[in-house]
Amino acid sequence: AQTTLILGEAGPNRGARAEATQAFADDVAARTNGDLTIDIQWGGALFKADAALQGVSDGVADLGTIIGVYFPQEMVAYDIADLPLLNNDSWVGMRATDELMRTDPTITENLAAQDLVYLGTFTTSAVNIGCKGTTIRTVDDVSGLKVRGVGAYGDVFRDLGANMVAMPIYDAYQGLDTGLLDCSQGYSYAVAALKQQEVMTSYTILNWGQVGALGIFMNKFAYDALTPEQQTALNEAGVGMADTLGELINADNDAAVQTMKDAGVEVIELDAAERDKLVERGKPYIDAWVEQATAAGLDGAGMLASYRELLDKYTAERDAQGYPWTR
Amino acid sequence: MLHRIERLLLDLACCAVVALGLLITVSVLLRVTVNSGVPDTIVMVRELMVVAIVLPLAAATTARAHIVVEFLSNRLPLRAQGWLVVFGGLFGLFALSPLLYAGWNEVAHNIGSGSYYVGQLNLPKWPGRVLFLIGMSFCWLRLLLLVIGDIRTLRAGGVPALSETTSSTFAEEDRS
Amino acid sequence: MDGTLIGLIAFAAVIGLLALRVPIAFVLAGVGTIGTFVIFATRTGAFTPDRAMRPTTSLVFSNSFDLIHSYDLSMIPLFIALGHIAYRADITTRIYDAARVWLAKVPGGVAMASVVGCGGFSAITGSSIACASTMGRICSPEMLRMGYDKGLATASVAAGGTLGSLIPPSVLFIIYGIFTETSISSLFLAGILPGILSLAGFLLAIYIWVTTRPEVAPAYEGDITLRDKWIAAVGAWPAIALFVLIVGGIYGGFFTATEAAAICVAAACVIGFAQGKLTVRDLWDSLRETCIQTSSIFLIAAAAKIFVAFTALTGVAPAIVNAVGDAQLSPVLLLAAIAVIYLILGMFLDPIGIMVLTLPLMVPLVENYGFDLIWFGVVVVKLLEIGLITPPVGLNVFVISNVVGKAVPIDRIFAGIWRFLAIDVVVLVLLMSFPVISLLIPNSL
Ligand code: NA
Ligand code: NA
Repeated sequence: AQTTLILGEAGPNRGARAEATQAFADDVAARTNGDLTIDIQWGGALFKADAALQGVSDGVADLGTIIGVYFPQEMVAYDIADLPLLNNDSWVGMRATDELMRTDPTITENLAAQDLVYLGTFTTSAVNIGCKGTTIRTVDDVSGLKVRGVGAYGDVFRDLGANMVAMPIYDAYQGLDTGLLDCSQGYSYAVAALKQQEVMTSYTILNWGQVGALGIFMNKFAYDALTPEQQTALNEAGVGMADTLGELINADNDAAVQTMKDAGVEVIELDAAERDKLVERGKPYIDAWVEQATAAGLDGAGMLASYRELLDKYTAERDAQGYPWTR
Repeated sequence: MLHRIERLLLDLACCAVVALGLLITVSVLLRVTVNSGVPDTIVMVRELMVVAIVLPLAAATTARAHIVVEFLSNRLPLRAQGWLVVFGGLFGLFALSPLLYAGWNEVAHNIGSGSYYVGQLNLPKWPGRVLFLIGMSFCWLRLLLLVIGDIRTLRAGGVPALSETTSSTFAEEDRS
Repeated sequence: MDGTLIGLIAFAAVIGLLALRVPIAFVLAGVGTIGTFVIFATRTGAFTPDRAMRPTTSLVFSNSFDLIHSYDLSMIPLFIALGHIAYRADITTRIYDAARVWLAKVPGGVAMASVVGCGGFSAITGSSIACASTMGRICSPEMLRMGYDKGLATASVAAGGTLGSLIPPSVLFIIYGIFTETSISSLFLAGILPGILSLAGFLLAIYIWVTTRPEVAPAYEGDITLRDKWIAAVGAWPAIALFVLIVGGIYGGFFTATEAAAICVAAACVIGFAQGKLTVRDLWDSLRETCIQTSSIFLIAAAAKIFVAFTALTGVAPAIVNAVGDAQLSPVLLLAAIAVIYLILGMFLDPIGIMVLTLPLMVPLVENYGFDLIWFGVVVVKLLEIGLITPPVGLNVFVISNVVGKAVPIDRIFAGIWRFLAIDVVVLVLLMSFPVISLLIPNSL
């Protein structure tokens, strides 16, 4: 019989991630010949981002976008994708995360215990930093600046002597404009989408890492109630999300950097030696994650090793064959 | 007894407003003067908001501060209006019940799982939920007692208080 | 059962229960909960209530808890506290006495000053509710004290509070900008002239009201010398200092609007204690009133959030928008239809809820017609602001009713609102007919 599933999404229906979500829904419908359709509720109409896990696990929506950073305890396995590991390639990050989440049976069990099933992953893409009235050329430049940062990346900025100012990314425009912020951690496409180039004077491309623990999860009861064919369709469409979003986000990021340059923002690539200092500074947070995952009954060290291998595997695939959409 | 608990809850809520005001003020002053701040200000303010808003619900109910639209019911006889007040209270008891039940589930879930907020202090998620449950429970209890009292008044031939007593009455009452 | 039908039944139930004098928060939470339960119980076709319990309670809890558990909204209790503390410390009384002395020759001058004050305050906060709750606490009691008509003293501030989202900064423009990928700064600029136009409209409404019925705004008796004027103005310095502190602090990059609320409360306490006008007892009484008022305002807002989530499940909003889209209307009729949709939804839902429910479908629709999205954003925000003062669910009216207490019944406020609504409709038609009013500033920069 024809089934309509509800997908709760806290973000708007615009931007690369929304396009990838819509493409996922269309893909599922196509693969099941319209047997399985997905009705997306945008903008947190059903639940906000910090209630998404409970919302999906309780069945408020059948599917939902869950952002790992809001659920450090419950999503400890997924949070591996947020670690400041050296990898700034969106597509590589997504495919590695996706394969780990899909193939590690302990993760599947851990999610099942919360009535959740993993379906597919997104990324916010590479983490960079934009500033007004100041320029980050070396790691030491961060010291004493008022910075809006997120996750372990923000922790590293704090360790480097930045004064962290907490505010939502949407307020960063005004924060930079008035001087409340010197710098804001962000992603290239988001800088352009929020027009931050109007108030930034410099943008430093860190070539460091990304925030990748956000993806689509499904309520386990709703998933189990589907036919095996429908489940396969959902999973295959989930794998495809990485390729869809990878292409979209790379194009958006390149265009955004061009927009910044056109607006007179100085765009700098952080020197590799300086970048390595950042990676070094991030290590304690990676160790902390391993400890936390181990405490949660997962093989933290083993997962980290597999994840690093997967990053290498997809980096090699990209280097050999290029991205899927250019093949 | 319940009245004293309500006043205690209300005073705790006042403390929460003072605390969140001070917390924000101090973090601004630290930022402006010594380029520093208070860790996890946002998480703490959010938890204090729950205290400030949910704990006074019982006192707000006592003060009959829940807003109603009166222009149609005003044309009815006083006793009929009294029964509508009772009906509104009963509907409120019904409307708040799922929140109590869900609040209980949330507390059990969050204490059991050890959930916490990401931040420098990794503060636990359960205190806000527990306070939510406490505030809602006393509000529900107070509403129940109001409904019972109003029914008694009506059956004895009287008319219950129709419109709200102002919230300042509550504050003044304590002074005398 | 069809979701749209459940939604329409629920809207009718809301009207019915409100007429039966059930408190608004209970109506929205109760109807939202039952409706959600019915939808979850009938999703598979058969009636399966046991499967509906868990998602229903989860939806009800997370939506209400999340609304309360908010950092940004902490400005609401703080600004309400500011109103109470400033009142007890004599700060508001003195600025009002100054306004009365200076505007003695202007009929309804104090009400006009209040509305202008709302405009000024909206340049500080991005939220209409924060604007109405603060200005309501400050202005309405002072106007009542001066013998102003109850309807005028309250409706003027309820309407003035709607400027909060039109004049930048504005939470609604931020959300609209995110949903449409338009420049938030352009939206802010686009809101300035329409905000000023609305403000001028409200002043006109007051002028017409007091000239046709002079008894609603008693004139100041007695002679006023220039000396009186200067004494009154100097006496009002604490209020002016607070305003300068907020505006200077936000636009000087020292703090955000949320932080400004806390700083101002601290400053008002310091001024009050230093002048010996405020005692610890006063402060505590102010805080108790603040807490009771904040708690009943948030109970309504939390219940409204539950109702929005329920409405999302029903699919009512997309059904209406799609029906309009399929009708292939002319641009003028389309705009009229959109206005009607937002005004009807505005009768029941809060502005942010309406935005997240309608924009995903509405924006592609108007884009097909080639409408300018910045201008359309101004129109949408104006429509949502009107919804804040329309019955039966008019959040700004509830907020004012809450802060003035039993001194003015809510029906008196709604009775005064229609004059402002009439002006708002004129302003709306102007904004729709002349996009240049919205686009002049953003396009010239
Ligand atoms: Na504003
Ligand atoms: Na309304």
